[in-house]
Order: sequence, then C-alpha cells, then structure tokens
Amino acid sequence: MKALILVGGFGTRLRPLTLSVPKPLVEFANKPMILHQIEALKAVGVSEVVLAINYQPEVMLNFLKEFETKLGITITCSQETEPLGTAGPLALARDKLVDESGEPFFVLNSDVISEYPFKEMIEFHKAHGGEASIMVTKVDEPSKYGVVVMEESTGQVDKFVEKPKLFVGNKINAGIYLLNPSVLDRIELRPTSIEKEVFPKIAAEKKLYAMVLPGFWMDIGQPRDYITGLRLYLDSLRKKASPKLATGPNVVGNVLVHETAKIGEGCLIGPDVAIGPGCVVESGVRLSRCTVMRGVRIKKHACISSSIIGWHSTVGQWARVENMTILGEDVHVCDEIYSNGGVVLPHKEIKSSILKPEIVM
Amino acid sequence: MLNFLKEFEAKLGITISCSQETEPLGTAGPLALARDKLIDGSGEPFFVLNSDVISEYPFKEMIEFHKAHGGEVSIVVTKVDEPSKYGVVVMEETTGKVDKFVEKLKLFVGNKINAGIYLLNPSVLDRIELRPTSIEKEIFPKIAAEKKLYAIVLPGFWMDIGQPKDYIAGLRLYLDSLRKKSSTKLATGHHIVGNVLVHESAKIGEGCLIGPDVVVGPGCVVEAGVRLSCCTVMRGVRIKKHACISSSIIGWHSTVGQWARVENMTILGEDVHVCDEIYSNGGVILPHKEIKSSILKPEIVM
Repeated sequence: MKALILVGGFGTRLRPLTLSVPKPLVEFANKPMILHQIEALKAVGVSEVVLAINYQPEVMLNFLKEFETKLGITITCSQETEPLGTAGPLALARDKLVDESGEPFFVLNSDVISEYPFKEMIEFHKAHGGEASIMVTKVDEPSKYGVVVMEESTGQVDKFVEKPKLFVGNKINAGIYLLNPSVLDRIELRPTSIEKEVFPKIAAEKKLYAMVLPGFWMDIGQPRDYITGLRLYLDSLRKKASPKLATGPNVVGNVLVHETAKIGEGCLIGPDVAIGPGCVVESGVRLSRCTVMRGVRIKKHACISSSIIGWHSTVGQWARVENMTILGEDVHVCDEIYSNGGVVLPHKEIKSSILKPEIVM
Repeated sequence: MLNFLKEFEAKLGITISCSQETEPLGTAGPLALARDKLIDGSGEPFFVLNSDVISEYPFKEMIEFHKAHGGEVSIVVTKVDEPSKYGVVVMEETTGKVDKFVEKLKLFVGNKINAGIYLLNPSVLDRIELRPTSIEKEIFPKIAAEKKLYAIVLPGFWMDIGQPKDYIAGLRLYLDSLRKKSSTKLATGHHIVGNVLVHESAKIGEGCLIGPDVVVGPGCVVEAGVRLSCCTVMRGVRIKKHACISSSIIGWHSTVGQWARVENMTILGEDVHVCDEIYSNGGVILPHKEIKSSILKPEIVM
C-alpha cells in the first residue's frame, strides 16, 4: 500500500523552530513529527510513502535516507513548483500512488497527531465499498473548523459545512483519508482544495464515508497546540501503560526522558514533559508542560513551564521561563532571567527579562 | 559563501579564501587563526577590515601614511557627533600617533572613533594568541603604549551598516559620495529626485517619483505611479501601482500591493507579499509571509 503525506511549505506558524529545521523533522515527544506517521503507516503494511513538499527537499532527503534504511520503507518526495492546495499534490504524485494493484492509498496532513487507527480504517473502507474514507474527530468548538455532516449509523457523508454559525454537528475533518485510485481522476493538476472541491462531489454521489477517530487528535502546527498535543499524546501512552514513560521520585504525571539525558538531584519533572537526547537538567530544576529539545542544558534551580526549549539552547540558573516561551535553536537565557512568553529566534542571548509576550529577533 | 566567492574570484582575478572559527575568537583571535594565510616571506603589512563598514576605503593613502610613520600599526579613525557611544581614539593631531583608547567615556576626550580599518605589520601577529581576544582592548593599547600605533582620519563618509537604521543612513552617505564624484551610475530623468541608483534590468513605470536615496535592484518592476524615497528595493521585487514606500528595505522577490503605504523602518524579508492598500509602520517581516492586515506600530511578524 502507498501513502501521501501533505507536508506543504515553510511551516511559518511553528517558527522559530522551523527556522532551523523543516517542520516534519521537528521532534514531537522525542521523535520527528513525520516519523510518528511513517511508523504507523509501516505497521499496517504501507511500503511506500510520498511526501508532498514545496520547500527544502535537500534537508528532508538526507533524513529520509536514514529512515528508509532503518524502517525498511520507501520514502520519496514530490515537490510542488507552485502551491497546489490540498488536492493538487495528489495529482502531481499520481504515478507514485497508483499501481496495478488498484489498492486504496492513504493521504495524511503532516501536522496531525493521533492514534492513527489505520487498520480499522482499512476494514471500514472495505466494508462500506465507497470511493473515499475520511477520519473525523469530535471537537468542542466546531464553528472554528469545517464540520462534516454524516449519517451516524453508516458513516455516509452528507456534506461539508465550513465554519458554521448554527450548530450542524461537532465532527470535523481530521486530515486522514483513505482513497481509491479513482479519486485521482477527479483531481486536476492545479491549485485545488480537497475539502471544498473534491470531497463535496464524492459526497453528493454518496461515495464518501466518515469514521469517528478513536482516541486523541491534535493539529500540532503551532506552539500552543503542540504543547496541548504533547499532553494528549503522553496521556495515551499512560493509557497503554507504556514503559517509555519515566518513573521515579522526581517525576510527576506523564514524562518522557530520553535515555541519554541526565537529570540532576532534587529536580521535579512533570507533568507533560518531554526531554530530548543529550539534555542536561542540573539539580533543583522544575519542569512542567514543556518540551526540551536535543542538547539543551537547563541550569540549577531554573523553573520552566508551558514552553518549548529549542535544540542546544541553555536556560540559566534561577531563570523563570513560562507562558508559551519558545526558544529557537542555540538560544542562551542568562542566569536569573524571567521570560513571559518570549519567542526568541535562533542564536540569541537573552540578557534581560522579557516581561510580556514578544518576539525577540 | 563559498559558491559566491568562486564567482567573484573568477570575475575579479583575486584569491578569496575562508578562515573558519570553531569558537568565537573576538576581534583579534581570527588574525592568529589566519596567520599562515596573512604572512608570506615579503614582510609586507596586511589590511584588516570589519565587514560591516562602508566608506571611501582610502587604502592608497593608508599605505603611504603607514610607510611614512614607520610604526607597527595604522588605523583609520572617523569623526562622529556622539563619540560617547563608541570607543574614542585619543591621538596627537599632527603626527597621528595614538595616545590611548577610551571606551564609552562620559567626559569628552575626543570625537574620533575607531573606524574598523587597519593596516598591520606582520609583527602584530606575534602579539596575538589563538584565543578569544579583543584587538581594541588588549592588542592596540599595548602597541599604543610603545608609541607604535598611528591613526589617520578617514576622508569622506563612514557607516557601520550592520543594522537596518544604519544601513539606510549609510545608503544616503554612499549615494551622496557618488554624487560628489559625478558618478554616471546615478539615475537621471524627470521621475528622479536626489540620488538614486536603478539597476539596468529594473523597470520603472509611468508617473513614478523615485528618490532621494533609493536603490532599485536587478529585475525589479516598479509599476506606474509609485513613490519611493530613502529605501532599498532588492532583486526581483515588484512594487504595484500607486504604492508609497519610504525609509524601508524590501527584500528579494517580495511584492508590495497597490496603494500600499510602507514606511518608518519597515523591513521585508525574502518573498514577503504585502496586499493591496495595506499600511506598514515599521513592520519587520520574516521571509515567506503574506501581510493581509495593516501593521499600525513597529513589530516583528513571524
């Protein structure tokens, strides 16, 4: 089976992290975002993954060679020369997605994390015999999204309603599709929206079915949702009683600590923390609801919450870092500094406190 | 860097190599690192420049000055209005012999500052260890104490263009120096006011008013009725009709929409698209962004 992952462009919403690394390679819970998806696809027998990108293929390709060998799966890139929307990339990658087998192929939005119930989706698709299956997820505020109106028992999709003012339903498009090759005949090679142009047609022909996503879902393409997503992801690890979660007297709630990271004496880590490879967390540090990327050093007595600390950065002694502070790569926060929502571009030194949320360039 | 350098090497017939620091070495350390590349058997002095500095680069006068005084080091100094922001060089006016350096002092000691252009005898390298070192704070004061350091006052303009405000001020000075030399590079025509540089491959539409102190880069398209003043427009930019831009820098391949007003140190990165009728007051925009709503006060858009 094959899969296409819509990676897209510059990842500007996840800056400053994406100023250093293309978005699919930014780690989430200590693993590149895209690897979460590729591993789940491999687990259901997908043998080839195509990445639809329009930026930096060289950086991507190097990493991908490494994953190809490790995972035993073929990964190729399909590069847009102009932005093709959410459907156009499928037409562009057509030759890579269809073969004689006639099997359906997956299409994923690269920012989505979830349980990836691909096996259940394949069975659902076979059972209804329609042309396209999509995953939907329940949300509290559907008016912010595109709502999918469907028959509850069969899953057959009636229509899509973009950002409805009146309540029409609370299930939204989760960005995970399983499509028959015939869908490609409906897509021209031009900027096209799959939600606005392609799916509504298939729904009108009563050939589009939706399955409610079991488990968590989050679009982690921006820092606030990335941090929320981490909480959901770690919670799902907890439910599966995963041995990956850290234990010990200095750990509270769900915490992931890479085996090469060092945690000092008297720290309190968690809940909802991920600490990456080679990190050094010195003694007496408090970390909660944060991600600490590879190679970071957190100095003694620092206190960090609801923030993301980028690769190879340092946070000084007694520093207080909170409220959606995002440090890019190689940022150095001096001792005793306070950052309230500072968003700091790479290769900066922070020598004075940031009292209200702002970008530091 | 290396790709660009190969192109320049071939065009200019000069050898360009790189010396890469693995740790920051300050302002003197890099000289020690590049020692083998700087001295040959000839014993000739070598130049050291700060990359952010633009000026008339009076290197010929500097070589003559250096030979004449026979000291170990020549530095260029420039007069500024607010010396207290910089390191001031205190020197004997007639000979140029440097007495001392004074960093950011409150009392007035002089108004000449280090312009970041040096001509050094190879013996200076014997004074510099391969470690983070400041040439202004550690090396030059010693040489000055031995009365072997001389300063020449820079004729013409000087600017450290390492930040946007100074980049724009520096452009004014540079174009002014072109004017003084009656340079043929400056644009002429009834749509031009003051000093303006327009690349030959750029297109300027009808009814524009361009200048003063404007540079328009290769492949730019400035549509009809556009007003540009005190700004730099980089390669491949399109400025749409009736737009008005001042005191700003427009990055490569960006576009500025119709009737847009862009001013007060707006800096657009590469591939930034400002929509029609938008106002930007000092917006600083990172690459690959679209600006769909006005920026009313200076801020960074990421």
